[in-house]
Amino acid sequence: MRRSLVALAVATATAWLWAGAAQQAAAQGQRGALPRTADGKPDLSGIWQVVNTAHYDIEPHSAQEGVPGGLGVVEGDAIPYQPWAAEKKRENLQNRASLDPLGKCFLPGVPRVTYLPFPFQIAQTEKYIAIAYEFAHTVRIIYTDGSPHPGPLDFWMGDSRGRWEGDTLVVDTTHFNGRTWLDMAGNFHSDALRVTERYTPVEGGHVMNYEVTLEDPKVFTRPWKMSMPIYRRAEKNLQLIDYDCVDFFWQDLFRKK
Amino acid sequence: MNAGILRSSRVAAIVVFAVSPWVFASAQAPDAKPAAGRQADGPKFTPGRTPDGQPDISGMWLPGGSGKPMETPSGKPWTPPPGYDPGTNSAYTFFPPTDNSRPAVRDRRPMVVNPADGKIPLQPWAAARREEIIANQEKAEYLDPRVRCLQSALPRANLPVFYNSYQILQIPGYVVVLYEWNHMSRFIPLDGRPHLSPSIRLPMGDSRGRWEGNTLVVDVTNFTDRTWVVGHGAPPEGAPASSLTTGHGVFHSEALRVVERFTLVDKDTISYEATIEDPKVFTRPWTVSFDAFLRAPADHQLFEYACHEGNGKNILLMTGVDIEK
Repeated sequence: MRRSLVALAVATATAWLWAGAAQQAAAQGQRGALPRTADGKPDLSGIWQVVNTAHYDIEPHSAQEGVPGGLGVVEGDAIPYQPWAAEKKRENLQNRASLDPLGKCFLPGVPRVTYLPFPFQIAQTEKYIAIAYEFAHTVRIIYTDGSPHPGPLDFWMGDSRGRWEGDTLVVDTTHFNGRTWLDMAGNFHSDALRVTERYTPVEGGHVMNYEVTLEDPKVFTRPWKMSMPIYRRAEKNLQLIDYDCVDFFWQDLFRKK
Repeated sequence: MNAGILRSSRVAAIVVFAVSPWVFASAQAPDAKPAAGRQADGPKFTPGRTPDGQPDISGMWLPGGSGKPMETPSGKPWTPPPGYDPGTNSAYTFFPPTDNSRPAVRDRRPMVVNPADGKIPLQPWAAARREEIIANQEKAEYLDPRVRCLQSALPRANLPVFYNSYQILQIPGYVVVLYEWNHMSRFIPLDGRPHLSPSIRLPMGDSRGRWEGNTLVVDVTNFTDRTWVVGHGAPPEGAPASSLTTGHGVFHSEALRVVERFTLVDKDTISYEATIEDPKVFTRPWTVSFDAFLRAPADHQLFEYACHEGNGKNILLMTGVDIEK
């Protein structure tokens, strides 16, 4: 008698556990559960793209011919320029056809590279997160191995060292050469720029919330932030198709000769 | 226990111990490797595995093969004329080693292993075109596309130059190769998807990979026709194409197809083989083979190589266009 009661108790407990597991399994199918890598981090590998008008102008702007209007991605709407820098921005805007470094096929810098109207592909491993951008085959390697920034060198794309804070990838980028812009509207920075990006996957890993803090004591009066979603591209068998800006530069040059 | 078995197992043990020092020596001493770079005589090396089960070829790699010429010249060696000034390029004509941590590989056999004579099998019209290209290097339209900061085709991207290194990452479904020079990258899918439409052309082509045992086989098609197939070291200025050992000036059409094989032959060496076909340019497929990737020191990192951004002086000199303005 006792044995059959014990058996019944075990069977009931087992059934209850299985039901719980089935519920959890159902929850796995919902958009809340993020795909994860073997080391337990959210898996950001894949192809992503921003859809907004930040690449034209990160501040709120009306439509112009050839330029769609945008709400802006700058928190507080206005970039806090020092007075000399606000004047420099106006100069840049006026002469953007010749001054925009992207127009010469120079590397776009950070964070501009993220919100260019081109996709990018992430390969995430435990120690390195490589990001290949379709524009000008730009590459960033984010070191998540705890290694420090290098010595006195400067780069167009800066030097990126990352770490995970819960499910957010936090990337600290310094060592800029100050020669890149933030958009096509002449918004700029110096070589003192420090960028802190926070990539937080949401919606079952289909979207990342992208928040960026910019600090540059030579140009801005205080740190400021921009934010926007980044969308995972859904097409099957998608791959980056190289936008080889330098090749176009040379073809253009030969045509004019 | 049967005495006969005991005796024969003792003999077997002696044979094993006699063989093993030789086996371990060839596995551990790079200098003792056969000059072709393959571990042909040693035990078969078994690489570790990535979390998703691929043979692990990930890590930081330095260019290998810098002691080797690309090809046997199709013509006579070139003798510089009297008073010839080799200029600043002369130091690089004879393929100095790029890696200081290993003894220099003085293997002078060409990377072209097929055909056996080491000569790149250009069709006659293509050999003549190569002569024209090499004779006109001071003109921007003929200039080595790499000097203009255009991307390298294959196998050229994997040929040794001192200003390059590589990083390989592996994630489920992909092998990713990052090239320090000119920040090139290849995401090689392993899922058997078809190649791109022939309407899409890429400078590094379109790669499709699969593992055959411990060898990564990559089929590359959909090339543009504005790159060179090979070319490392530096050709002496003024030398005709028929005298070159460097592979410069070997162009291709959009029909180019390259099949690569990457094999980790020991923990520090990836052996590389590439078979090149282009029925419009070559008389037959041909193959290069050498140890292309040598394990870098543990603290090695790829630095940004902003090629075009730093090319302003050259562009101004060649074309009069000032990109710095």
